[in-house]
Amino acid sequence: MALGLAARIYTILPESNRIERIWLLAKTDFKVRYSASALGTIWAFVYPLIRILIYYIVFSYVFAKEIPNYGFYIFSGIIIWMYFMEATKNGLKVIKAKQYLLENIRFNKLDVFYSSILTSLIGFIVNISVLICLLIIMGLPPTWRLIYYPLFILNLMILSLGVSLILSTIHVYLKDISQLWELVLLLMFWINPIFFAKQKIFNMFPALLYANPLAGIIINSRDVLIYGKEPDWLLVGYNFFYASIILAVGLWSFNKFFHKAIEKL
Amino acid sequence: MGDDVVIKLENVSKTFKIRDKVPGNLLQRSWSFLNGSDIRRIEAVKNINLEIKRGEFVGIVGANGSGKSTLIHLMTGVYKPDVGGMASIKGNYIRLSLGLGFNGQLTARENIYLNGSIMGLTISDLNDNFRKIIEFAELQKFVNTKLKYFSRGMRARLAFAVAVHAEADIILMDEFFGGVGDERFKARSDEIFQEAFVKGRTIVHVSHNMRTIKQYANRVILLHEGECRSIGSPDEILDLYRRTIRVDKLSMREE
Repeated sequence: MALGLAARIYTILPESNRIERIWLLAKTDFKVRYSASALGTIWAFVYPLIRILIYYIVFSYVFAKEIPNYGFYIFSGIIIWMYFMEATKNGLKVIKAKQYLLENIRFNKLDVFYSSILTSLIGFIVNISVLICLLIIMGLPPTWRLIYYPLFILNLMILSLGVSLILSTIHVYLKDISQLWELVLLLMFWINPIFFAKQKIFNMFPALLYANPLAGIIINSRDVLIYGKEPDWLLVGYNFFYASIILAVGLWSFNKFFHKAIEKL
Repeated sequence: MGDDVVIKLENVSKTFKIRDKVPGNLLQRSWSFLNGSDIRRIEAVKNINLEIKRGEFVGIVGANGSGKSTLIHLMTGVYKPDVGGMASIKGNYIRLSLGLGFNGQLTARENIYLNGSIMGLTISDLNDNFRKIIEFAELQKFVNTKLKYFSRGMRARLAFAVAVHAEADIILMDEFFGGVGDERFKARSDEIFQEAFVKGRTIVHVSHNMRTIKQYANRVILLHEGECRSIGSPDEILDLYRRTIRVDKLSMREE
């Protein structure tokens, strides 16, 4: 894959093997996650496909008439959502999961967070490839505006990294955060434009759109991918701003509380 | 820090605050939670000053609960010392302890690559060293076996092999060879200990096994209830250690 190649090129540079290490951590994590099951990595895309199918069947009665290509509408929203959900849930537990390395070897401890974000990206790349193939098969090939798409993924990764760092810090003092976070995720699923048309709710409550770090990523990535529309640049600005603030808070709290996290394991 | 001092501890203490479970009803429990009477302070390590130079072999002995493992964590910087203390370590370290250090879901091969990479080796370095590591650990038949099926001895051999071939500058062994390793492996690890000084490799060895310490340590530290009771040559300290154990036993009998 492209990232593997990038890692290989990077190692030609002297001294640091940092990128390579982060990639290796991510890759092995991805393998471990599915290695115990009989179907293995097939689950990585069977699971989201089945989810999408269920949502499609359930919601298409309500929304299919007002949203064109409703199946793809859900698909494109849900893969962004699943990335965020998976990355933050794993990020919450990454210190515990990587205790066996963090305690024993000298390296930059942030690497385990970077790799956790990358692990989820591998699954995401599988999903987005399936989606693009389906779009082409169904005669809706993406336009040149697809080049904007990585921008939203970058935004999503910055956001997920920041949230993971903050959650794992809170986890040091409050173990209940993993249950609480499940609830927050549940709430977020229903207020983000994953399966409903964005106009409906956002016309009533614009704050849900502009004060929400995730909604814009979903809307813009969908617009460029499926509808070939120009992204809403104001929303892009908002979202990058939120993600950077959250990442800054995350890095600060991680540096301040990491020692406590290891001691209290 | 002098050029060849690799581990330095200045006035290092470590206090753990532990919240005990308070019996009683919810009201009593929340009261003791609020006024903090359920918090117990445990001074695991008290006021340690220590400098370890490159190439030294330092042994740490002491009874259970005397703070040996905490001291190792303070050396690596994984634990932060209490206010007023300073701990620093120079170079790549690896801490070896039984049962830790590997992911049971990964095979020997995957664990070697992961640990090696985190130690700073590139994949091509690891490709070159892979055979040597496996041969050193005598695990040729288990390259693609998941670590969860390994015995303690096999894990210990693998961890030691990785540490040695990943060129760790500092190896911290926390009760690592506790009852594992056959004679052949002991002979191999002895070779490593012997050449450590020449290669500038620092070894800190926490153990109840006196043989290795007696044979290789330049200095031995005796910990007693978190305090550094004495530092000296192996013979001197091991003798003192045996006597303190005996004294403890006697005083217990008197109580």
